[in-house]
Amino acid sequence: MWMVIHGLIASAIGIAVGLAINWFPESASTQAGPIDRLYDILIWVSVPVFVTVTIIVLFSVQNFRMRPGEEQLDGPPIHGNTRLEVIWTAIPAIILVVLCGYAWVVLRDIEEAQAGEMRVNVVGQQFAWTFEYPQADGEPVRSKHLYLPKDQPVRFSVRAIDVIHDFWVPAFRMKIDAVPGIETGYRITPNRLGTYPVVCAELCGLGHAVMRATTRVVEPAAFERWIAQQKAPAQASEDGEVDGKALFTDGNGAATACGACHTLADAATSSATGPDLDEVLADKDAAYIEREIVDPNAEITPGFQTGIMPPNYGDTLSSDELEALVTYLGEVAGK
Amino acid sequence: MVAKFRGPGMYRAALGTALGTALSYAIIGIFRSWYGLDPLFKGYAVLELSLFLAPIGFLIGLGAFDYWFRWAAGRPTIPDDHSSHGAHSWRDYFKVNTDHKVIGIQYVVTSFVFFFIGGLFAMLMRAELAQPGRQFVDPSTFNGLFSVHASLLIFLFIIPVFAGMANYVLPLMIGAPDMAFPRLNALSFWMLPLAGIMMLMSFGAPGGSFASGWTAYAPLSVTAPEGQVFFTIGVQFAGASSIATALNFLVTIITMRAPGMSFFRMPLLVWANFSTSLLVVIATPFIAVSQFMVLFDRALGFNFFNPTGGGDVLMYQHIFWFYSHPAVYIMMLPGFGIISEILAVKSRKPIFGYRMMAFSLLAIVVLGFTVWAHHMFVSGMQDWIRVPMMITTAIIAVPTGIKIFSWLATLWRGVLHLDTPMLFSLGFLTMFTLGGISGVMLAIIPVTIHVSDTYFIVAHIHYVLFGGSLLTIFAGVYYWFPKMTGRMYDERLGKLHFWTTFIFFNATFAPMHVIGIQGMPRRVADYAEQWAGWNMAISIMSFFLGLSALLFAYNMIVSWRGGPRADSNPWNALTLEWLVTSPPPIFNFDAIPTVVGGPYEYGVPGAVHGVLKGAEVPQPAGATASGASHGSATKDQE
Amino acid sequence: MEAAGISAGIALDHHDDGHDDHHHGPPPANRSSRVSHEVLGMLLFIISEIMVFAAFFAAYFFIRLVAEGHRWFPFEGYELPVAIAGVNTAILLSSSLTMHWAQVSIKNGNRFGLKVGMVLTSLLGATFLFIQINEYIHIGFSPQDHAQGTIFYGLTGLHGAHVLVGLSLLIIVTVRAFRGHFSPEHHHGVEIPGIYWHFVDVMWIVVYTAIYII
Ligand code: HEA
Ligand code: HEA
Ligand code: HEC
Ligand code: CUA
Ligand SMILES: [Cu+2]
Repeated sequence: MWMVIHGLIASAIGIAVGLAINWFPESASTQAGPIDRLYDILIWVSVPVFVTVTIIVLFSVQNFRMRPGEEQLDGPPIHGNTRLEVIWTAIPAIILVVLCGYAWVVLRDIEEAQAGEMRVNVVGQQFAWTFEYPQADGEPVRSKHLYLPKDQPVRFSVRAIDVIHDFWVPAFRMKIDAVPGIETGYRITPNRLGTYPVVCAELCGLGHAVMRATTRVVEPAAFERWIAQQKAPAQASEDGEVDGKALFTDGNGAATACGACHTLADAATSSATGPDLDEVLADKDAAYIEREIVDPNAEITPGFQTGIMPPNYGDTLSSDELEALVTYLGEVAGK
Repeated sequence: MVAKFRGPGMYRAALGTALGTALSYAIIGIFRSWYGLDPLFKGYAVLELSLFLAPIGFLIGLGAFDYWFRWAAGRPTIPDDHSSHGAHSWRDYFKVNTDHKVIGIQYVVTSFVFFFIGGLFAMLMRAELAQPGRQFVDPSTFNGLFSVHASLLIFLFIIPVFAGMANYVLPLMIGAPDMAFPRLNALSFWMLPLAGIMMLMSFGAPGGSFASGWTAYAPLSVTAPEGQVFFTIGVQFAGASSIATALNFLVTIITMRAPGMSFFRMPLLVWANFSTSLLVVIATPFIAVSQFMVLFDRALGFNFFNPTGGGDVLMYQHIFWFYSHPAVYIMMLPGFGIISEILAVKSRKPIFGYRMMAFSLLAIVVLGFTVWAHHMFVSGMQDWIRVPMMITTAIIAVPTGIKIFSWLATLWRGVLHLDTPMLFSLGFLTMFTLGGISGVMLAIIPVTIHVSDTYFIVAHIHYVLFGGSLLTIFAGVYYWFPKMTGRMYDERLGKLHFWTTFIFFNATFAPMHVIGIQGMPRRVADYAEQWAGWNMAISIMSFFLGLSALLFAYNMIVSWRGGPRADSNPWNALTLEWLVTSPPPIFNFDAIPTVVGGPYEYGVPGAVHGVLKGAEVPQPAGATASGASHGSATKDQE
Repeated sequence: MEAAGISAGIALDHHDDGHDDHHHGPPPANRSSRVSHEVLGMLLFIISEIMVFAAFFAAYFFIRLVAEGHRWFPFEGYELPVAIAGVNTAILLSSSLTMHWAQVSIKNGNRFGLKVGMVLTSLLGATFLFIQINEYIHIGFSPQDHAQGTIFYGLTGLHGAHVLVGLSLLIIVTVRAFRGHFSPEHHHGVEIPGIYWHFVDVMWIVVYTAIYII
């Protein structure tokens, strides 16, 4: 009796605590609801299992521990009990099968195709994300950050260029690896305005911890405006006005943002994957800076390694962009 | 001086290592000049070859192959005069020794050394993670730290320490004078330190140590700096070592049991190692092959994992997990065996449902091969594989549950001796259940999609590996310490060790569940400000956890050197290893014992498991030290 | 490499040299099974070996059937020499027969049969390897060209490595046979490498079928 009562009390407390803990990050997609509910159900199931085991151990310790004078005493030679054994085989089996069944339903639910899906291509690359919005008229819009219209079902199609990455937006609850050579993906419907982190969840090398971006869920109208805006500067850059600082913090469609790896006070970036540019570029001339960007492996900064900084900035940056970047760095680094 | 280099031993081993390296230079030089390549000695080529040849040179020098070489050449083999049995001074532990008891000690001590090194790396990691941002290691060192941490603790600690303990007690338990292949046994041991040293040496490689996690996913491991091959090749030696040991166990168990020891009279530890060895023999070749493929892709430009060449990236994960999921049971089943021994003895009751205990082990072995893809739920593999894998994964909790509940029933109405081994066993029961439950949550796909690759996984790993395997290892070491060393450990320190470990273990790893679900990814040196508080708390607790491990080390070393003498059967246990003196005589038994009953007949009046030949007929009554408990009163129904 | 070490360990760790040294040694172990240590050890080791091949067959499966843009020989002018490999298959299989003959001979005390059988088996094995290497030289693609080449060389090379290990064992047996070892009572040293050799032959049939025929 002691045991049953304490067990019930402990389970009740355990479940209450389990449900009270704010486990999940804020939720911003319709997929989050069923997943969070499934997790609550798991708490309901798991806590009693754990409490049962623990209570039996504690009860045995309290009641059956050896007392003085019992040193030579043995317990009763019970070898087994078929009925009990059948019970503790069957009950967990039933619980688990039911759980799996329910999980399957949830899985189908969250992966179901929606009418009128928008498609976004996600490309992972050491160590940055690129989001592509295919446009009916020509070139897709590319962005380093993810913009999504609220309540619009989205299908992500995920690819990787070099090694495996993992596209995860904790607020959406969904993740999938970006695998070189194949295309993967998932669907979500964002349902809450706000800004949320995009995280790379698969170890992809040195910069894995800094492979982050942001998701902005915005009103559909704002999204349309943003798309239009993104298309516009593509033409604007033709006439030479490139913003070096923006390039440094956000990169362009193809080139990873410098700020993802470098610290630069003026651009308010603070990563330590690459050298602190305020320190190392303080007294350097433009030619030096340009060479270091175009051919970073030519001369390795002490304490860092070859092969981390992408070697292809010469291709991914247009000559205007490169010039703007060099000028910008020359002006602000170490100042 | 010359004689020193002639005879087997450390000097000749050093020479062998040097010759192995020289040979690698020669081979690479010859091949590259043949193909007209430049430069003649390409650094990484020589390195990779010498990582194979230098250890082999070492083993040859040490004398691990002497017997077989003579045999192969058709020369008369040196008659085995058994001088290599037993250890008379600490120096004997640095030689090729064929005595399973010496090898057992070599194994256990070596693996604990790697435990402390791996634990030290964990401390460095926790120091870096105490605050967001960069403290004192750069990202590449951090990635190296957790990769080497996990590789050492898995391949050089948990797996071999179980093999080592079983090496010591298993032949005694089944009444065998030694293992079936003593020389192979010695060879398996000596491959281990080589693998471990190799992994540690990787910190000196250009570009730092291997840093792609213990999972070494391609293509990251294919493109990673040269330190990676220290893992790729080190694992080959660790793997060869475990396969050889597993073969040895299987053959020993099948062919060398004492008369009367039928399969269903074997102690459950023997059953557990039988099952584990089956897993090892079947699964381990897969990791060997996966790493060879990485090596070929790296060194020779093969296309196994190169998608543009028609290779398949996910293939690596399938092959890797086909080993590494069974490997988690390789790291757990021997622990189940240890717990079965201790719980029966310390509750003074027979194991509840002995046959189901044995069958559930076999069920886990079989099911263990059907669940590998639960590590790949978010890997982008074919969708249809997921649901079947979810179901098999969940079902594997059933045989595990049978074991947990049978142990609980074993406690029920027993006479619990709450000393250190028992405390660790009870701690194991609760903590492993918790880890298993988080495992079941991970099997539920929609939940895994969110928590995969977060600290929730790190919490699961440590609840099953630390709360599961490591607690059983501590329990086992305390339990057999008197048998292995002939001394008693300090009981008060042991209990203190238990309580500090138990408390700080939970304080360290329980919060990881929370921050994991909240979204903190694993394998990062830097994280968002929001988790700063939790991580600081975790780090502080983990330092206390580290200190508790030092308590253990202190207790073991001091007690080994000067603890009170242990008699042959301090626990009043029935299994055969307790029939002989502590430590056992050089050849275990003067004559092979005969087994006449089950191993756990506690409380059955007059029950005997085995008798030594030549010893008196078992006394019907009176509690003698070695006659265990027969005749003593039975605590009856209240 | 691994394979060599372990198989040598199992095949050679035995006591048929006839010396009797159990004076102060351990008590003889109880034999709880009719199979001998060495045979059982070799059989279990072969399970491991089968799994090594299984892992490579898994790679074969993925590259041939699963990977994006999968294809198989013949493509783009690549051809596999099915007929030559078929002849090679016959050579390897006949070596199993001669091996068997050698084993039967020593059981019956026919030392001459043992010696001839072993020499023939070794020669056939060496011929197989030679033809295989020749095939590599003339085949016209390399493992670096594409994943199909990789797995072709992977599987046949893995098998070739096993032939090499088996061949080394055979040569050891041959040397010992000429030195007067083995007798009708003590022939484990022939039997166990023999088991291994038969395994290598059977494995080739599987490899040949998978690579060249289907
Ligand atoms: C000792 C090692 C060990 C053990 C025993 C286990 C046991 C289990 N593990 Fe774990 N696992 C690891 C070590 C281990 N694991 C490691 C190292 C990783 C990470 C690898 C990496 O990526 O680095 C991992 C990762 C891992 C994943 C992948 C997560 C991911 O990366 O996304 C999953 C998913 O299914 C999983 C599931 C399970 C399950 C279902 C069990 C089951 O066997 C547990 C069964 C036990 C119980 C359930 C408790 C007792 C049972 C009862 C009391 C009965 C009643 C219970 C119920 C009704 C629930 N594990
Ligand atoms: C048996 C296996 C095992 C064991 C025992 C441990 C023990 C510990 N582990 Fe480990 N761990 C793994 C297996 C294990 N781990 C695995 C498989 C991974 C996944 C790796 C991957 O992602 O690839 C992992 C990953 C892992 C991470 C996540 C890294 C990341 O993803 O970024 C962390 C972080 O806190 C961690 C911490 C610890 C700590 C604090 C201990 C402590 O329990 C250690 C306690 C022991 C000691 C400390 C040693 C004794 C003390 C000394 C030598 C004296 C020094 C003491 C002081 C300075 C106080 N481990
Ligand atoms: C993925 C990480 C990463 C990104 C993105 C990156 N770098 Fe670097 N960078 C490094 C590393 C690591 C080094 C040090 C190794 C070396 O010298 O090549 C480095 C070195 C440099 C140096 C040389 C510093 C010295 O000591 O002289 C300059 C200049 C530089 N980077 C500028 C840039 C600019 C500009 C960009 C963006 C267009 C950029 N980096 C993007 C990682 C990165
Ligand atoms: Cu990209 Cu981690
Ligand atoms: Cu698993």
